[in-house]
Amino acid sequence: MDKKELASVHVALPNLVEQLEKGRTTRRDFLRTSTLLGLSATAAYGIAGKITGEHFVAPARAQGTPGGTVRISMNVMELSDPSLADWSQKSNVYRAVNEPLAKIGADNITRPYLAERWEANDDLTAWTFHLRENATWSNGDAFIADDVVANIEKWLDEAHGSSNYSRFSSLESADAIDDHTVRFNLSSPDLAVPESLGDYPALIVHRNFWNNGGSFLDNPGTGPFQMSDYTVAERARLNRRTDAPWWGGEVMLDEIDIIDHGDDPSAYLAALASGQVDLLYEISADQVAAVRGMEDLELYETVTGQTGVARFHVTSPPFDDPRVRRAIRACIDHDVLLELAFQNLGTPGEDHHVAPIHPEYAELPRPQQDYDLARSLLAEAGYADGLDIEINCVAQPTWEPNTCQVIAEMLRPAGINLNVNILPGGTYWDRWTDWPFGFTSWTHRPLGVQVLNLAYRTGVPWNETNYSNPEFDALLDQANATLDLEARRAITEQLEQIIQNDSIIIQPYWRAIHTASNRNINGFELQPAREFDFPVWSMSSS
Amino acid sequence: MIVFLARRLVFMLLTMLAVSIILFAMLEVNVESIAVRVLGAYSTDTQREIWLEANGYLRPIYVRYIEWLGNFLVGDFGESTRFNTRVADILWPRLGNTGLLALFTFGIMIPISLTLGVFAGMREGSRTDRSITFLSVITTSVPEFASAVLLSFIFVFWLGILPGTSGFTDGFSLREMILPVMVLIIYDFGYVARMTRASMAEVMQSPYIRTAVLKGLPYRRVVMRHALRNALIAPFTVIVLQINWLLSGVIVVEYFFAYKGFGALLLEAALNNDIDLIQACAMIAVIVAVGTQTIADIGYTYLNPRIRFT
Repeated sequence: MDKKELASVHVALPNLVEQLEKGRTTRRDFLRTSTLLGLSATAAYGIAGKITGEHFVAPARAQGTPGGTVRISMNVMELSDPSLADWSQKSNVYRAVNEPLAKIGADNITRPYLAERWEANDDLTAWTFHLRENATWSNGDAFIADDVVANIEKWLDEAHGSSNYSRFSSLESADAIDDHTVRFNLSSPDLAVPESLGDYPALIVHRNFWNNGGSFLDNPGTGPFQMSDYTVAERARLNRRTDAPWWGGEVMLDEIDIIDHGDDPSAYLAALASGQVDLLYEISADQVAAVRGMEDLELYETVTGQTGVARFHVTSPPFDDPRVRRAIRACIDHDVLLELAFQNLGTPGEDHHVAPIHPEYAELPRPQQDYDLARSLLAEAGYADGLDIEINCVAQPTWEPNTCQVIAEMLRPAGINLNVNILPGGTYWDRWTDWPFGFTSWTHRPLGVQVLNLAYRTGVPWNETNYSNPEFDALLDQANATLDLEARRAITEQLEQIIQNDSIIIQPYWRAIHTASNRNINGFELQPAREFDFPVWSMSSS
Repeated sequence: MIVFLARRLVFMLLTMLAVSIILFAMLEVNVESIAVRVLGAYSTDTQREIWLEANGYLRPIYVRYIEWLGNFLVGDFGESTRFNTRVADILWPRLGNTGLLALFTFGIMIPISLTLGVFAGMREGSRTDRSITFLSVITTSVPEFASAVLLSFIFVFWLGILPGTSGFTDGFSLREMILPVMVLIIYDFGYVARMTRASMAEVMQSPYIRTAVLKGLPYRRVVMRHALRNALIAPFTVIVLQINWLLSGVIVVEYFFAYKGFGALLLEAALNNDIDLIQACAMIAVIVAVGTQTIADIGYTYLNPRIRFT
């Protein structure tokens, strides 16, 4: 493609190619940004291959023998409306039936899915999505623009309660241009629209979904599977659709059999080791060494933007005093924290919630443990004789309470007595934005600005710190509108610095995630948000 | 005897009534948390208020209690928020699964522990007695979670001959039953065996046994005809009370082996604040506890000729 053709897709693409040619951006970042701007993955890989010499690797397609059932150990949760999904386990079931417009791959790159391609206007305030014309619903209806518009309208209804409401906070409306073209109109520029469309609650349901009861179980999907059997906390079975060919081509699996083994990680591993299942949704960091020692099993590891934050509710005493928050942060040694609480299976955090794998990540000086600073800040804040505080966290997964326990030990020398209050998951999540000091896990998102928009912007529903900083919000707006990676990185550096200076979170580490399977399953890749891509899997006979 | 039975029955009903009041008060005083659980953490205050009103939670607590009790008595336990279905639909199958586990455990454990206990008690202080007592103390001292890990390591990960979980996803499987039953037997048989041994040893020291031996009756006949019946009175009570333990005390085993039983259900309900389900499970556990206690009392009275009512 020449520059003119590139510019016809998006005005910023020629510049992006130039950056790659001059080595100012990496191949990975080029692929990510160019595909976001509507360049097809094939074209993007082609250009990158020409410049860097690393040639296109076709995305995984189903290979192997048709037929077979994949048995997965994963929690089977209550299923209702995909846009209300609050766990990726739920969305993994939904995704076999209902599909997203864009999909985020195991390489953290967003690719077209139900949308065949897209373009954005120059200032990123209007995005046009061209939908696949060969996709059909399992009830025989054609997949059309009205489906997408109906979904967007529902997501933007605050009363509906979908987390997509804040995920698409800049989205004002969606218009059907024709049967297979939809335009998203934004109130402010947003670079991450395709990435957000690949997030797990952004699955597209039929236009009549809510008129037809609003239940996933009673409505059609565009995906290659349909639900055949389902009992909460026990089992979910999905069979390959036979009514019409799937738009994406041949699907190898006949059946997906999801079995719930409860919440004890040792049960999952025992089920895999004894051949009761083929794949686990996850294994804990404690189990990685054990799986490495088992020859019959395959271990998968992926570096992610998954993390947990020990976050302060900055309007609740004593955390409303920045000196207290800074004092607590000054006690933390992130390297030791990673080693003790997560077996060194990740990267130390820097207390600003932008990960090294995010394209706009800017490296700041690493936070250092400094007890003298902590003690003087505490004395200044009126706690010279010590401070008693409590952190709330969930009991499972164990890395969360373990991390809190290590933090408690690190605070002790400064005279801070931290009580770790371990709660059942339901109890913690019922009040997760209200705890004065809480430890919350955050899933992976492909761009740094996505998390900052969700968690630290003034007034958004997931702002669990109650943080409000107009300067931060304004910079975030700028970052959302900045396509040039170098320029966005410069803004992100300021955002990171503000979060660090205001000490609103302790972010211990970025987690590598793991899972395991037997050797019968082909095509499985561990995606950073644990999203399963069933259509490309197949089974070998054992 | 009828007065005794009536008294026990009334006491049982009063106990259950008192527990039901405490349980209901503990779980339903804070109606706000119920609304949060059902509607989710992102629901607004207005949404919660509307839901509470629509579902009758804004009525006085005593009105709600009487309604709940009435429904409970006719088998309507409410709706599970976790399972999105009627509590009764999930409770009875789970109770059945735990009943099955208890049946297998009892069927194997009772003969073993009674036999070992009787053998040990027959000759107190003998090598057999010391060996059985040692074994019983060791196995009872090992908690279920430890023996579950150990047995799982041996039979699942090392030898690879048994399945690691017991969810019966493809229907009942005897192989899946082996490990949970083995763990429960190892934990509990020592307790019943030691109780039987103590009772047997006490009986063997009694004057009528000494008389029987001294008058020349064969030892076997002394044991079988004179000692055994009396020696089994105390273990009877212990065994009946184990029913209660096997119902709600096996949470660890059910959790570890992903066994879909009543204990695991109770844990799931508690972890997910599933109020109706917690209430139903707790009430069933109370009914079984009070019921087995009453049966044990009545059975003890029937079996022990020294206790009689005029």
